[in-house]
Amino acid sequence: MSAFFSGVGVIFALELRQRVRSISWYILLAVFVGLILIVTVLLSFAYYGFGAADDGGGGIYSTIIYFVLLLGTLVAPALSGNAINGDRDAGTLATTQVTLITTGQLIFGKFLAAWVTALAFLAAAVPFLIYATVVGRLGIGTILVSTLVLALELGMVAAVGVGLSGLMSRPLFSIVASYLIVAGLSVGTLIAFGLGGLAVQTPVTNTYSYGQEYGPDGAAITCSAPVTSEYSAPRFDLFWGALVANPYVILADAVPTAYDQYDQPTDLFGFIKLSVRMAQQAPETATVFDECAPGNVSTYDDGPTARETIESTTPGWAVGLGIQLLLAGGLLVGAHSRTKTPVAKLSRGSRIA
Amino acid sequence: MLNPMTSIELVPSEPEPAGISVDNVGRSFGSVHAVRDASFVATPGSVTGLIGPNGSGKTTLMLMLASLLQPDAGSILVDGHDPVTQTAAVRARLGWMPDVLGSWSSLSVRDALIFTARMYSMDRAAAAIRAAELIALVDLTELADSPTRVLSRGQKQRLSLARALVHDPTVLLLDEPASGLDPMARAQLRILVRRLASEGKTFLISSHVLSELDEMADGAVYISQGVTASAEALARSRASARPWRIRSSDVVALRAALVAAGIDEAAIVTDRTELIVALEGEPAASALLARLVNAGVAISTFAPAVGDLEHAFIDLSSEESK
Repeated sequence: MSAFFSGVGVIFALELRQRVRSISWYILLAVFVGLILIVTVLLSFAYYGFGAADDGGGGIYSTIIYFVLLLGTLVAPALSGNAINGDRDAGTLATTQVTLITTGQLIFGKFLAAWVTALAFLAAAVPFLIYATVVGRLGIGTILVSTLVLALELGMVAAVGVGLSGLMSRPLFSIVASYLIVAGLSVGTLIAFGLGGLAVQTPVTNTYSYGQEYGPDGAAITCSAPVTSEYSAPRFDLFWGALVANPYVILADAVPTAYDQYDQPTDLFGFIKLSVRMAQQAPETATVFDECAPGNVSTYDDGPTARETIESTTPGWAVGLGIQLLLAGGLLVGAHSRTKTPVAKLSRGSRIA
Repeated sequence: MLNPMTSIELVPSEPEPAGISVDNVGRSFGSVHAVRDASFVATPGSVTGLIGPNGSGKTTLMLMLASLLQPDAGSILVDGHDPVTQTAAVRARLGWMPDVLGSWSSLSVRDALIFTARMYSMDRAAAAIRAAELIALVDLTELADSPTRVLSRGQKQRLSLARALVHDPTVLLLDEPASGLDPMARAQLRILVRRLASEGKTFLISSHVLSELDEMADGAVYISQGVTASAEALARSRASARPWRIRSSDVVALRAALVAAGIDEAAIVTDRTELIVALEGEPAASALLARLVNAGVAISTFAPAVGDLEHAFIDLSSEESK
């Protein structure tokens, strides 16, 4: 096992040496930090402009963390999407493969290097995350969990990039395909969730009888005959798996939620988490309302609070990370079988050295 | 009672067949048969040339030997190990210098060699020592700490050779090693290859520069349209007519002597101050030379017009197209 990791270490060190020595990497890093700085400054002014002194900051400062996620997932494919086929183009892949380095060591080392390179961008963004947390009063749990989730998401994108660079022979195509997967996860999941939920509808029967005469205590004495109405409700609960594969949803869902005195979330992440969790619940297919039913005086059931909903539903972030792990792992395994030597089956138009 | 401890016999282990052994190997890519039937043996201590026209399957054969490509048919043994099933054992013994000059462009020559050494499980200290030795060996000392992207083609070629030698392999595959080298570097390459071969290493060298292989190689494997030439075809080629170049200070007397020796005057080619005649085999050449000397013609040059390898190459290629 240690022999495996010493080989991984050689590939990892080699990759880092090549990346960190390129000037373009530092320029990219500077642009990245500059953009976050601009967004943070603008948001801070907007915050003071709103004059929200006590708790309005949470919603705004959550967006800084989202912005770091956005830029991170935009940078990561560029850092990893040509890891393997780029080496083949440069003529350095085959000379590595004839050494005692195994295909597993090669791919794992390249994945780690791509991930660590992307993590450098996250590290540069950490001061802004801390600023957002402190000024937005988001709590220590928010910064820790959101940084961890950002790191995992960058790892997922790095794995997708390295995997596709092993599966596709042209660097340009594999980088574009990595971006398409990032776009699919960030936007495509929302579309799949929305359209899927609307396409599959469930008929709901609503039966109600309303009061016609009321007693002195305000309770209904005689009621109308039951009236039935039917309508259909979208089944978002069938598609919440698509929603939680979204990196932004995972981030919001994973962060521990702070509640106010009414058990409502206090920040943007909390509201997103609440709506994601409510999407898990299937609509009731039959509702009955009888104003004359005993006990149904004038009490009106508020339903579960936000806190109760969140605490009683499946943690979507775990399911989402599981889906992403399958995707990224599958692509890396695919890259392994396509890159393995000696090659048995060579696909059209590809070459070895 | 027999004591079993006394009856232990040492089973003599099978001697490992060293060098390269290729047996009826074939490989196709879809409908293209890159290598159809290749068989040859390269023994330790010898330098074998791999010769064939463009597209004859040389590189495909090299890739199969380098454990990068699986053969469809036949078997390959590199120092007794099969590249497909015993890949790691083959890679530990094999040095490969590809025809594509790839290098990690931002690394220095020294670091490139250190990283290659570490890919063969050498530790940092051993890798650094080995890199320094190889830099001196291939004469890149002045460029040792420059990034590899500044190297010229010939210098990259030398780096590529050093990389193939990093783990002191016993079998070396060199694909076009001399291309881009200046005459001085070529001479050094030849000396280095001969020295390493004398230490018992097996070399297989593919090259288009046949005259140069002639100086380096002990033998050659000819491959054409994916098929290696048989021993009979080679023997036939050796016996077939080949041009000889004869120079004399008195061309007129030489021509007269040649005609007197029974050579058709129309078949004598004039090339500046030299005459070229076709002769079948070495005995015929010796006999002709003896006659010319006896006839008193002043001979200053009497030599094959083309090298052994080139002759075989042209002869076998033209045989193929018949």
